[in-house]
Amino acid sequence: MSSSDEIDMLAAEYVVGTLTSSEREAVEARRTTDVELGAAIAAWEARLSPWLAEYQSVEPPAHVKSSLIERVERIQRAEWAQTAEPRRLRRSVNFWRATAISGYAIAAGLAALVVFRAPPTTTPDSHYVAVFQNNDEQPAFVMSIDLKSRQIIVRPVTAKPAAGKTYQLWIASDQLGGKPRSLGLLDEPTKPTRKTLPYDADLLQSATFGISLEPEGGSPTGTPTGRAVHGRLIPSQL
Amino acid sequence: MPTTSSKLTEWVARTASGDRAAFSKLYDATSAKLFGVILRILKDRARSEDLLQDVYLKIWQRADTFDRDIASPITWMATIARNAAIDVVRKHARDLQASDADVTEVPDTVPRADLVIEEKETWQKLEYCLGALEDEHREAVKLAYLNGHSRDEISAQLRIPVGTVKTWLHRSLKKLKECLVG
Repeated sequence: MSSSDEIDMLAAEYVVGTLTSSEREAVEARRTTDVELGAAIAAWEARLSPWLAEYQSVEPPAHVKSSLIERVERIQRAEWAQTAEPRRLRRSVNFWRATAISGYAIAAGLAALVVFRAPPTTTPDSHYVAVFQNNDEQPAFVMSIDLKSRQIIVRPVTAKPAAGKTYQLWIASDQLGGKPRSLGLLDEPTKPTRKTLPYDADLLQSATFGISLEPEGGSPTGTPTGRAVHGRLIPSQL
Repeated sequence: MPTTSSKLTEWVARTASGDRAAFSKLYDATSAKLFGVILRILKDRARSEDLLQDVYLKIWQRADTFDRDIASPITWMATIARNAAIDVVRKHARDLQASDADVTEVPDTVPRADLVIEEKETWQKLEYCLGALEDEHREAVKLAYLNGHSRDEISAQLRIPVGTVKTWLHRSLKKLKECLVG
């Protein structure tokens, strides 16, 4: 175990930029599950950020923008081909964040809420898969859901148990008043968790799901207290 | 006129919902700043242009993770650019050193007026606290941050063995934190 002091100095050196390439990679991998490290990095970034004002602006050549926009268009076309409702998916993350996120939660050192939007109503199949992931990294959890039986299985992929913390599953829906409601804890994050949800298929279809890292015993406030990062939807039948 | 933070926040939010026009405005308002960050660290124009594109792709993809309670939009974006540039220099340390002459070093001493990132007071506080370190040390910490110096470079600059850079750095950073937090 590293002491708080060691974690703080690791975060400080990461932010200053003096770590080696492999040390940086290790920090980037660890910060997704290590709440204390993530909070320490955020604090050091805030402390040193006034220096960012000292970078002189330099106008980049125009061709950078034109090829960037082309790449963005290609990505967008690929997303639209993959899922019927990419816009709804992305918007849903903001919706989730708006209900769940506040500054004090970060200060309390709670992290990593991951989000996913349930599939559009037009799909006839009742089986869906949700990927809970941080940024572009490996998925933390994968959840499969059968809307008919209302059964879910949440499987950990890269998520690791964190000392003194527990993962908590949430649902948010306009039909439930918009505020996230707990679907219970994922007691053993190394093993798949099965649950039958107490909501009907119609509600589940339009709901948002999230997983957050909370203090032992679950969120003390009754709503998620962690930071949101985006989720991706994968149709279970391609 | 610098673009206001609330305008940038709005464009980031619209970018998150897939709005390319908003993303384009965001790029126009911030790309010179981010290019300045990357260029100062990479010291190589061609590589910096490539990385600038990659950084904006990240911004496009991560726009929905932006949290204005944690940082202003420009701080958030400049931090992504700085991290990406440091990742690149650390990975390709050797081939980048050859092209140092590409960019002349202009260490600034005051925040630029064109795009002020944070309130001037927070900058003054940081500078004041940096002042608590010894002359040579304060220069080294700040240049490490701004130029993305490695421990090797700090060792050469301060003429201390690489093995003791970490100890020295930790002592300096702890002093800085005590002053900033206290």
